[in-house]
Amino acid sequence: MNTTVIDGIMFARMIEAGAANLSANRKTVNDLNVFPIPDGDTGDNMFMTINSGASMIKTNENRSLAKTASLAARGMLLGARGNSGVILSRIFSGISRGLGDCQAADIYEMQKALEAGIDESYSAVSVPVEGTILTVYKDAVNFAGSKITDGESFEKYFDDLTGELRRSLDRTPDLLAVLKEAGVVDSGGAGFVYIAEGMRRALAGEEIARADAPAPAQKSVDITKFTEDSELEFGYCTEFLLQLQRSKVDVDNFDITPLSEYLDRVGESLVIFKEGSIVKVHVHTMHPGEILNHCQKYGEFLTLKIENMTLQHNETTIRNNYKPIEMRPHKKYGIVTVAAGDGIKETFVSLGCDAVVDGGQSMNPSTQDLITAFGEVNADVIFVFPNNSNIIMTAKQAASLYDKADVKIIPTKTIGEGYAAISMFDQSVGDTDDIIENLGEIIDGVVTGAVSVAVRDTEKDGVSVKKDEYIGFVDDTIYVSKKDKNDALVGLSEKLGAKDYDIMLLIVGSDATDEESKAACARLKEAYRRTEIIMINGGQPIYDYIIILE
Amino acid sequence: MYILYTDTDTDITPALAKEYGYKIISMPYSIDGVTTFPYVDYDVYDAHAFFEKLRGGALPNTSAISAESYKSYFEPEFAAGNDILYVHFSAAMSATFDVMRPVVDELLKKYPERKFYEIDTKGISILALNIVLEIGDLYKAGKSAEEIVEWAKTEVDHFAVYFFADDLKFFKHSGRVSGLAGTMGTLLGIRPIIHVNDEGKMVSIGKEKGRAKAIDRLVQYVAELGDKIEEHRVMIANSDCDDIVAEVKEELIGRFGDKLKIDVYDVNPTIGSHSGPNACGISFHSIHR
Repeated sequence: MNTTVIDGIMFARMIEAGAANLSANRKTVNDLNVFPIPDGDTGDNMFMTINSGASMIKTNENRSLAKTASLAARGMLLGARGNSGVILSRIFSGISRGLGDCQAADIYEMQKALEAGIDESYSAVSVPVEGTILTVYKDAVNFAGSKITDGESFEKYFDDLTGELRRSLDRTPDLLAVLKEAGVVDSGGAGFVYIAEGMRRALAGEEIARADAPAPAQKSVDITKFTEDSELEFGYCTEFLLQLQRSKVDVDNFDITPLSEYLDRVGESLVIFKEGSIVKVHVHTMHPGEILNHCQKYGEFLTLKIENMTLQHNETTIRNNYKPIEMRPHKKYGIVTVAAGDGIKETFVSLGCDAVVDGGQSMNPSTQDLITAFGEVNADVIFVFPNNSNIIMTAKQAASLYDKADVKIIPTKTIGEGYAAISMFDQSVGDTDDIIENLGEIIDGVVTGAVSVAVRDTEKDGVSVKKDEYIGFVDDTIYVSKKDKNDALVGLSEKLGAKDYDIMLLIVGSDATDEESKAACARLKEAYRRTEIIMINGGQPIYDYIIILE
Repeated sequence: MYILYTDTDTDITPALAKEYGYKIISMPYSIDGVTTFPYVDYDVYDAHAFFEKLRGGALPNTSAISAESYKSYFEPEFAAGNDILYVHFSAAMSATFDVMRPVVDELLKKYPERKFYEIDTKGISILALNIVLEIGDLYKAGKSAEEIVEWAKTEVDHFAVYFFADDLKFFKHSGRVSGLAGTMGTLLGIRPIIHVNDEGKMVSIGKEKGRAKAIDRLVQYVAELGDKIEEHRVMIANSDCDDIVAEVKEELIGRFGDKLKIDVYDVNPTIGSHSGPNACGISFHSIHR
């Protein structure tokens, strides 16, 4: 084969193949975790991000390259999860911008577009770190660009690209000490390698089968939750792609503003955008039929999904906080946070959160998940507490795509910071800026430690860790490693100087038994008589214990 | 001659009442349908046992007493030719005084020679008790009812109370505090700081994380608002939390020296039904509330 031009159809195939290849190697990417506990999720995040783009162009035939790339990029922006996912979405967003209105691209045009992806991805990060997906992508694009000769094929171009991706990936431990220390290469960079290699294989005409493993964040539906006596309380989550039809409307000059206003009137949590002649809609409504009838005046549906939200087991907001949409009173300030574990989520609701998005270290929410939550909060100003450094970028991306409220990201990096800030949230301190300043002061000095099981032997921070031991750590620093989880907890508390804090919140994870946690709490109370020790059942995965010291 | 009356919502005990010459009106609470009248249904208040019940999940209710009860307290005094000075807990916190007033009017018609004086402490628990005992001092010094009523007109507003609660469940149940963040269900070490304002209502004025910070804030109010505190009583009320009381006392002594007259009281069960266990507060003579 000798491909010299890539059009929309080929590009769509390449994106699909990239997604498929990553799906087959997702676990490998997840396991490239600098920390020796089973919370790696880069593979999942990047797969769900590119898959969100791929699903936008699945039904796409005879489309121009520019339009296809734009649709895919838009899907990735909304589906982005985790920092690597956000960067990936921005790479494709840059590529789409670089393609302009190009119907099909030759190698020079494609190189220019990929270079735009470098700028766009670097601008997504406030402090770009080398030795990550950013570097890997940049090195490869620059290398492939330097090797272009007249009349060269895309096959050769992608060979150069993927070759340098691999080499640059192997160099990441030299640029980033944490990688070298952990003996791994950068996971985001690795994810991108699999995507690019999949794209290369599509050029060769190969079809790549997707791995069957279900996405970890997939929603489970329990149909017993809605019976003959149930009342429709939450409405239907309604999503569709609408293909505008020339026989019905003036497709080229179609303005979605009136449609958007109509949907906003009859529904909630609206996300709508138009890409070429396709309109994507996500809306919560009590009467999906009316919306479908209305929209069919403009075109026909490419895809359609309607879910009764009462059945959704794993929705973005916690059930008992889920008031019927129409009944949410308007307020000045709303609070959205992110947490995993029913106990922790309930705690946040009781502390005053309007929406708790499901997610955490090993299950990052997407841009769309956050936007949906914003839509559920009827407030002028929405404060968002991401509670994880890998969710802050997604939250910022969601904020930039949402225009119905002033969304402020309070960059809480841990559950502890989120708890401290939300529990002391005080709107009487002044205006929005004063509140933000006050929250910043509260977050300062909060320590969040965790206990989790090690999945491999390692030597880190002067602590020798054996596989299956319990490690006590704060951020990336390991303080203790013990055979018994309670010993690890007590040891960690000691190292952190728990006796000097007023309050210790002990959040018990789903892997610790009642007996274990009671014994742990008793030991802590015995050891720190002046510190107020409060235990709650968080039900979080991965971390047997989380402690918050204030 | 006039007879001094107060009620059990002021934390007064029979021993104190005897010392200062008060008669006590008992204000009831009920748990699981069983109504208890303090110092009528028992002689000694076992605060620990009461708050242990609340810790165990009991959620008490309080209620106004009947017109008949008021009559049974007041009529014998009028019939015997005595006037009454009733120093009571905050009228803004209870409907009980709406029941009382028609009874008093009726009795005054029946005994036109008699007088009924009323002083609203605009407080409860130790805030009310602080005023009750000051009035007791005046009574013992031979002041007339009119003189005491005059004193109260300016002095009631010069006693303050600041306290914190440990579990908002009880206040939420009773709806007696305004300004509580309506959203705070789980406290997790967060302590709402509450005071009683000039109208005699409980108002939440902020929150502190942790016992130490909450205690600091209470003592800070004493420092900022205190007025000749060494010449008056400084009272600490608590709902079964000796350890917190010890820390508060230590802080007060550390801050103001040992010249203060500090007394510790158990929150009465009727008010304790609202505050819940582990609440602690300080009442003191102040520039303003």
